Amino acid sequence: MLEILLSQVVSGLVLGGLYVLIAIGLSIIFGLLGIVNFAHGTFFTLGAYFALTLYQYFGWPAVVLAPVLVGAVGMVAERLLIRRLYDKEPLISLIVTFALALLIEASVRLIYGGIGQPFSPPPLLAGFLIWGPILITKYRFSVLLTTAALLLLLWLFLEKTPFGRILRAGSRDPEMVGLLGINLPRVLTWVFGLGCAISGIAGVLAAPLWTITPAMATNAIMPAFVVVAIGGLGSFAGAVIAGLMVGVVIALTIQFYPSASGAVMYVFMALMLLLRPRGLLGERWERFE
Amino acid sequence: MTRLLIPRRKALLGAAGLAAAPLAAPFVARAADPIRIGVLLAKTGQIAAQTEYLANGTFLAMEQRNNTVMGQPAELVWLDEPTPQAATQNMQKLVQENKAVAILGGSLSSNALAEEATAAQLKIPFVCDNAAATEISGKNCNRYTFRLNTPVAVQQRMLAPYALKYGKKWYHITASYAFGQDILRSSRALLKAAGGTEVGSDEVPLNTADFSSFILKIRQAQPDVVVGGLSAGDLSTFLKQWNELGMKGKIPFVEIAIGDTDIWAVGPDAATGTFTKLWDHTNPDNPPEEKAFAAAYLKKYAKPAADKAWMGWITARSLFESIDAANSTDPMAIVEGLEAWKVQSGATSYNYRKFDHQMLLRNLAVTVKPKITDKWDYFDVAATLPADPADLDKVFGTQEEIGCKMG
Repeated sequence: MLEILLSQVVSGLVLGGLYVLIAIGLSIIFGLLGIVNFAHGTFFTLGAYFALTLYQYFGWPAVVLAPVLVGAVGMVAERLLIRRLYDKEPLISLIVTFALALLIEASVRLIYGGIGQPFSPPPLLAGFLIWGPILITKYRFSVLLTTAALLLLLWLFLEKTPFGRILRAGSRDPEMVGLLGINLPRVLTWVFGLGCAISGIAGVLAAPLWTITPAMATNAIMPAFVVVAIGGLGSFAGAVIAGLMVGVVIALTIQFYPSASGAVMYVFMALMLLLRPRGLLGERWERFE
Repeated sequence: MTRLLIPRRKALLGAAGLAAAPLAAPFVARAADPIRIGVLLAKTGQIAAQTEYLANGTFLAMEQRNNTVMGQPAELVWLDEPTPQAATQNMQKLVQENKAVAILGGSLSSNALAEEATAAQLKIPFVCDNAAATEISGKNCNRYTFRLNTPVAVQQRMLAPYALKYGKKWYHITASYAFGQDILRSSRALLKAAGGTEVGSDEVPLNTADFSSFILKIRQAQPDVVVGGLSAGDLSTFLKQWNELGMKGKIPFVEIAIGDTDIWAVGPDAATGTFTKLWDHTNPDNPPEEKAFAAAYLKKYAKPAADKAWMGWITARSLFESIDAANSTDPMAIVEGLEAWKVQSGATSYNYRKFDHQMLLRNLAVTVKPKITDKWDYFDVAATLPADPADLDKVFGTQEEIGCKMG
């Protein structure tokens, strides 16, 4: 029993890692821009489709460009659409980003068709790793390592670089940042692009595991909202902890009560919010209260 | 810049509300008094890959008739079926606002079960082109509903010998909605009758993205064969991850009612298994009309006709020809036209059985080719079932076995 439980935990960590990446982008955009981005899942989808296209035309090395392209699409969307929402009612941003999600999904469907696209892990990462009772495929292990490395880099970027300091300051007091001579609108464009690119990375990593379809965002966006709610809005560390917890809880539920595996994350969220309404590591921010 | 004031609870409530909203707006075609026929097929979600082909086949059937029924201009009006409740609302809209004289559709069993009840209530002919739940033409049957797909229980009986060939220790992995639950019930009864053992069973929520935890359980249980009951995109994801976790070739996988689009999404490296399906575009035994349909589809869409395209086409054809034969758009005249409709071409025959309105047709047992060289051609046809067309009525069950009472 211990053997299967350990394997399930590792499996849950891989799934949780993907959820973390999707949720971090969402959390950054919400935390710094104040936008609940309902189109976030479709940037995950774009990551998967861009990876597939780049692989088909240029081979595996070109796949690393997919998140860059997703980020670029995100920046264009911010310039044309999102920046008009910063001082509007939250409901308007929900509706507009929901419409953007429909537009992106419909565009993908128009270009690639509605059917799923086959895509397998690179041959270099075929096979297994077995450590005692734990079995994991090389590809899933690489997803776990990539996620950890990305999160570390992102944390260093936000905490230790001047740009990161501008972002954090801008999220707390945008007027003061503007008075200091910083072009905040341009910074916000980059932030939105960064959040979308991170979601795109999750899409690239998930593409060889999930079925690539125009509707694949459905499987990404709701867990991302759940992870952000559990971790605490705008909290980087909270999203990481919550994402991994959600992944492991789902994996263990599959072991013991599989038919509840789709609902368990919502139950987990409800319990967590009852115990701690601000989420695990959510701060009391005056602008959100 | 204006200071941002975001009420958190309001934002989250709004987000939850939008998540629950239907994902697509209806498309409504309008013209000057043509005969309108409603199409109810999902436009988004995990079944959308199949419905794209169902719709293509349906619209092609109309085009091939120069957009006429009974010699008069006709048009198809396609609305979404995102949930059973929304599907019934859209069915009412098609009948009451668009004045549709009959409805085609029913991509998921859960939707079709709700739609057939509404069809009876509205007294409108409904021809179900995809859903396979046994109850549709079984205990839930009604005079206004006709169904193409072979019921789960019948397909499961056809598939059972292929599963038993591998052994009597079965593991079930089935979707936790009407289609999967029907498969589980039927398969368990067949396994019990064969004296076999169920070594594990998992019911999987729809739209599951990661099956690795389920596959780890199957790996530990070491069954002789896995009997699946997953639908559309979920089946594709499962097979993809089944291969990724090294299970392809180690434990055989069987399932009823696969669609071509499901296996095309898996890819040649990961595809595996034995399945039942209704039609295959490469089958040399297809009658001339169907070969012509496949050629017309290829010409129009620049890709081969999937089985779902044929299912949309044959169902639409049966309805259009029945309205022609009735020479009336009166609902009961159309029902009687459908009851009398029959196609016979060589050894191939199709007709709706009078007592349950179930289409009688032979199924194919197919296995994934050992080496796939054509991205549109994954299957070898292992058998046509039943082997003798004269056994069709018996294989589909007697009225007592079916439990359909139309009154």
